Amino acid sequence: MAGLELLSDQGYRVDGRRAGELRKIQARMGVFAQADGSAYIEQGNTKALAVVYGPHEIRGSRSRALPDRALVNCQYSSATFSTGERKRRPHGDRKSCEMGLQLRQTFEAAILTQLHPRSQIDIYVQVLQADGGTYAACVNAATLAVLDAGIPMRDFVCACSAGFVDGTALADLSHVEEAAGGPQLALALLPASGQIALLEMDARLHEDHLECVLEAAAQAARDVHTLLDRVVRQHVHEASILLGD
Amino acid sequence: MLQKQEKVLLLRTFRGRTLRIVREHYLRACVPCHSPLCARPAACSHDGKLLSSDLTHYVIPDWKVVQDYLEIFEFPELKGIIFMQTACQAVQHQRGRRQYNKLRSLLRDARHDCILFANEFQELCYLPRERGEALEKWQTRSIYKAAVWYYHHCGDRVPIVMVTEDAEAIQKYGSETQGVFVISFKDYLDNFWPDLKAAHELCESILQSRRERESESQESHGREYSEHLPLEVLEAGIKSGRYVQGTLNVNKHRAQTEAFVRLQGASSKDSGLTSDILIHGTKARNRAIHGDVVVVELLPKGEWKGRTGALCDNDSEDKTSSEAPSEPMPTGRVVGILQKNWRDYVVTFPSKEEVQSQGRNPQKILVTPWDYRIPKIRISTQQAETLQDFRVIVRIDSWESTSVYPNGHFVCVLGRIGDLEGEIATILVENSISVVPFSEAQLCEMPVNTPEKPWKVSPEEERKRRDLRRTHLVFSIDPKGCEDVDDALSVRTLNNGNLELGVHIADVTHFVALNSYTDVEARTRATTYYLADRRYDMLPSVLSADLCSLLGGVDRYAVSVTWELDKASYEIKKVWYGRTIIRSAYKLFYEAAQELLHGNFGIADEIPEFKNSDEKGRQARLEELAWAIGKLTDIARHVRARRNRCGALELEGVEIRVQLDDKKNIHDLIPKQPLEVHETVAECMILANHWVARKIWESFPHQALLRQHPPPHQEFFAELRECARAKGFCIDTRSNKTLADSLDKAEDPSDPIVNQLLRSMATQAMSNALYFSTGSCTEKEFHHYGLALDKYTHFTSPIRRYSDIVVHRLLMAAISKDKKMEIKENLLSNKDLEELCRHINNRNRAAQHSQKQSTELFQCMYFKDKDPDTEERCISDGVIYSIRTNGVLVFIPRFGIKGAAYLKNKDGLVMCCGPDSRLEWKPGSLQRFQDKITSTTTGGESLTLHLFDHVTVRISVQASRCHADTIGLEIISSKPYRVQSSELSHLSPLVLKSELVRDVTRCAEEAQLAQEGQVDGIREEYQEYRQTKGRSLYVLLEEIRDLALLDVSGDYGI
Repeated sequence: MAGLELLSDQGYRVDGRRAGELRKIQARMGVFAQADGSAYIEQGNTKALAVVYGPHEIRGSRSRALPDRALVNCQYSSATFSTGERKRRPHGDRKSCEMGLQLRQTFEAAILTQLHPRSQIDIYVQVLQADGGTYAACVNAATLAVLDAGIPMRDFVCACSAGFVDGTALADLSHVEEAAGGPQLALALLPASGQIALLEMDARLHEDHLECVLEAAAQAARDVHTLLDRVVRQHVHEASILLGD
Repeated sequence: MLQKQEKVLLLRTFRGRTLRIVREHYLRACVPCHSPLCARPAACSHDGKLLSSDLTHYVIPDWKVVQDYLEIFEFPELKGIIFMQTACQAVQHQRGRRQYNKLRSLLRDARHDCILFANEFQELCYLPRERGEALEKWQTRSIYKAAVWYYHHCGDRVPIVMVTEDAEAIQKYGSETQGVFVISFKDYLDNFWPDLKAAHELCESILQSRRERESESQESHGREYSEHLPLEVLEAGIKSGRYVQGTLNVNKHRAQTEAFVRLQGASSKDSGLTSDILIHGTKARNRAIHGDVVVVELLPKGEWKGRTGALCDNDSEDKTSSEAPSEPMPTGRVVGILQKNWRDYVVTFPSKEEVQSQGRNPQKILVTPWDYRIPKIRISTQQAETLQDFRVIVRIDSWESTSVYPNGHFVCVLGRIGDLEGEIATILVENSISVVPFSEAQLCEMPVNTPEKPWKVSPEEERKRRDLRRTHLVFSIDPKGCEDVDDALSVRTLNNGNLELGVHIADVTHFVALNSYTDVEARTRATTYYLADRRYDMLPSVLSADLCSLLGGVDRYAVSVTWELDKASYEIKKVWYGRTIIRSAYKLFYEAAQELLHGNFGIADEIPEFKNSDEKGRQARLEELAWAIGKLTDIARHVRARRNRCGALELEGVEIRVQLDDKKNIHDLIPKQPLEVHETVAECMILANHWVARKIWESFPHQALLRQHPPPHQEFFAELRECARAKGFCIDTRSNKTLADSLDKAEDPSDPIVNQLLRSMATQAMSNALYFSTGSCTEKEFHHYGLALDKYTHFTSPIRRYSDIVVHRLLMAAISKDKKMEIKENLLSNKDLEELCRHINNRNRAAQHSQKQSTELFQCMYFKDKDPDTEERCISDGVIYSIRTNGVLVFIPRFGIKGAAYLKNKDGLVMCCGPDSRLEWKPGSLQRFQDKITSTTTGGESLTLHLFDHVTVRISVQASRCHADTIGLEIISSKPYRVQSSELSHLSPLVLKSELVRDVTRCAEEAQLAQEGQVDGIREEYQEYRQTKGRSLYVLLEEIRDLALLDVSGDYGI
């Protein structure tokens, strides 16, 4: 059997999208009543749930408290049923820890932590189904959850992945495309300012191509922002109706 | 704007589990239709090519039609073709990359009037596959639906013809929609393109070849081979007994058709199969290559086939197929490969003419491996022309099920075809022998011994070792001029009157520490390789020829085994093992020792140690030495007799004797029997090996390295018994003792070669002696059949065998264990040792093969320049030792060549007896009996050849470009060949053989000389590479014993 053709001559990807097109994004805020903020997002078949607690007092060892800003604590886990073959450990493995660190870096850059010195903000993210672009889905879910909790941020953080196949940059990779083994780049963007909160790539890519891949990812992140903005407005609209404004 | 759908796929993982995968599938309203008649060109946003606007109809081929008749759509006359995405994907997945690329280039070609319509991404065309719906049905349904949509999309203006091979679809959809016709491809061509002759012809030929393919293999879906089963399935199958596991062995002489699977381990016990499994044809072999570990499924009994008994070359493949094969044997087909055994292969590029005939793609070239058993390999290179005259190394990369030949790539050039160095390099590579010179790092580890800085015994070692320098008379017996003396002997009378026998072996492990560079290198080499004209040492020469060589008059470290023997009965009372320091007093050669044994002291002048000594002391010393040799011989006789009583076989010894002397008329030059001293030395070594084996096994019952020789299968002796019966002898093969006895009796007084051939047949029937780790066998299996010993190992030649080094280490550890000392070196665990044994056995086999192949190479080069019709040497006496359906196998004692001679040539003519007993070819028939073969010509003349008949044969060389040259034999007279020249007959074969080697080396050298004109450099090279002339006879004995146990030359046509 011949290998999968990631991008056909006609410009279609395996799942029928074109190079720059995103997968279908659906999101909801305020899914849990107990948490300070929560959100659920589907990006294609990648599904993630984010919950935010805080800002609150430092839990555990007080020595961790930062005098000038809030501590952002992120935990990532992925459900055992999230992948094609059942996973053994839902969290605590190397990959989860790394993901947690990346999320923390991303949100430390976005949240105005100096407003809440000596306090803590917890962000818990769980992936229910992994079908490519888990980092992006987690960041987008967490953004909505942080917004839902009412924690002040500089801007939305919108993330998206991008890959590179046959001289073309592909936005928002699915699992099939990721598994094919090409270079993959993850980008978290603050869309209004165009500042980059996190940029990660761990494959080899020629310098000449980096710009176009980066541009594809940034454009996709801006598209995500449009969608998330719509979700937030919708949520606020619904909430205000309930409050009887 | 996109509509998301989900596709559920059930995929099978590599491990054979099914995996449910959900993939997204996005549909869109606007997919470019590439038609100029499009109703909404803005939405469709056409870019790229459009169909022409003046078409009477559009044609949409079904997936099956695209797969099978793509070549017809390549005709530029056919226009308005719409390939549906569904059909293209079917091509991609089921026909492989090559055809898909063809389709892609067709679509890209602007001159060609065809387009692709991505129907699966169009929201109105997409049809989800229903549960349980066959893939083919769904594909046809999708394509039809898309065709209908397309028709409406273009405003119903152009009729659409969908061509399909599915009669059911024609039935079902034929009249469903007006304007969309569904017809078969044949009808389409007939109705729309009746004048397009070429297309019709092509269609016919495609149909034809497809029919053939289908009749050939119904189940394989257009692939060349069936897919291998996943590993899990294989393992489960082996466990349940449905499949059997074994190593694939391709028949060298019928590489195309016959291969056998030798069963391995447990699978042979369960399935109750005794013989090998035949794999008939390349299809059933299913991409397995010689040496792979494969899993085989047995075919039903009705499909079993027999092996072919006729002689044949690889070139004439189908020649023998008409003949009735022998009795059917278990036949199977390969269903999976557990372990691939791909190595570097030496190949030859096809010559210029062949390249051109090979055709279209000049960069893809089929090269022919040197080894007949390896299939041709397809490699892509631009240098095919420049590499034509060279032997080249390639590696196999992959072998897809869609490809007839494996794919490989070019690695490097070895040398010119026919050039001595190139051919030797070929032999080395083919046996995976790598003999790079020793590196700086390795040589740095070596102790120094130069005239300025002589090596000395260190005081520290002196304290640890038992000093035998003053107490023992140690001497070595080797052939004249031998450099690497690894064994020495001693014998003396103890105070209590008992005798003490000692065997002293060079202490190599003292110099070669475990896991040092030298050790690692020695382990990979595992043995010293002896080729016909050179040798490749296992250890650097500073060790092998100097510090580890037990030379006369110098102090050397040794590992000794001494036995205390009863003075009268020679019963062993006590054994001592340990490290010693010895100084060999005399370095004797066999002839001198033999003379001393006979009490002939005149020989003393030839022994360097006696040269300058005064007359008086000399006599005393000579007597002392003669006594020692006499005592030694006495003991050896005793030990041998004890072993013989248990049934030790004398196969190997006889084999040697034959090699050394078979000319009855040259008593004065070569004695008929080898010297008794040879046997004495050999016997002492066997004794030492045996006792060391016992010692290390007692100390380490689970991780000792021993050598076993499993008893042979009785059925392998069938041929031997038949042959012996033809001559009126009875061979009893029930045990090694009866076999040895009956072989001794089977002596034809008029013809010593009969006995020799019977013995070589017996040797062939036996299995190989192997190293093994005691932890992985039961004690019963330790037995050495040939030597009739319950435990045996190799201990006495650490300079040239790695197994001996391992045994030395084990023995040292055993001694420290006895002394309750801590064992310094980490011993290998059973598993590691087993792995190491496998490696050493493997390397030994390679060493034997390379030696044999190099000998054959020299034989061929020797005869190559001689014109077989005129040269007197090319005609020789031969003995028939086996009868086949179309010829006989002949052994030529003078050159030690075995080969096949045909009685029926390729034109179907048979040999018959002409006047003056000359043979000529005439039409006729052959009849084969148990012990004779008769050819009858149409004229009524007949010729009968019996087993063991002497005939005159002409030796010629059958040159081969891609493979090794082979010796061809032709019977020219049914009478024995009379030796005319008395001068020739005086040469013993061994002398002749070495002469032959020298001859060929000289020729090669002269050729080189002429080329380069650098006389001196080559002289030096010659000195360096030339074989050390005298190897210890014990070494030779051991080697040929190993060789005899694995004589591969005999399996012509088996």
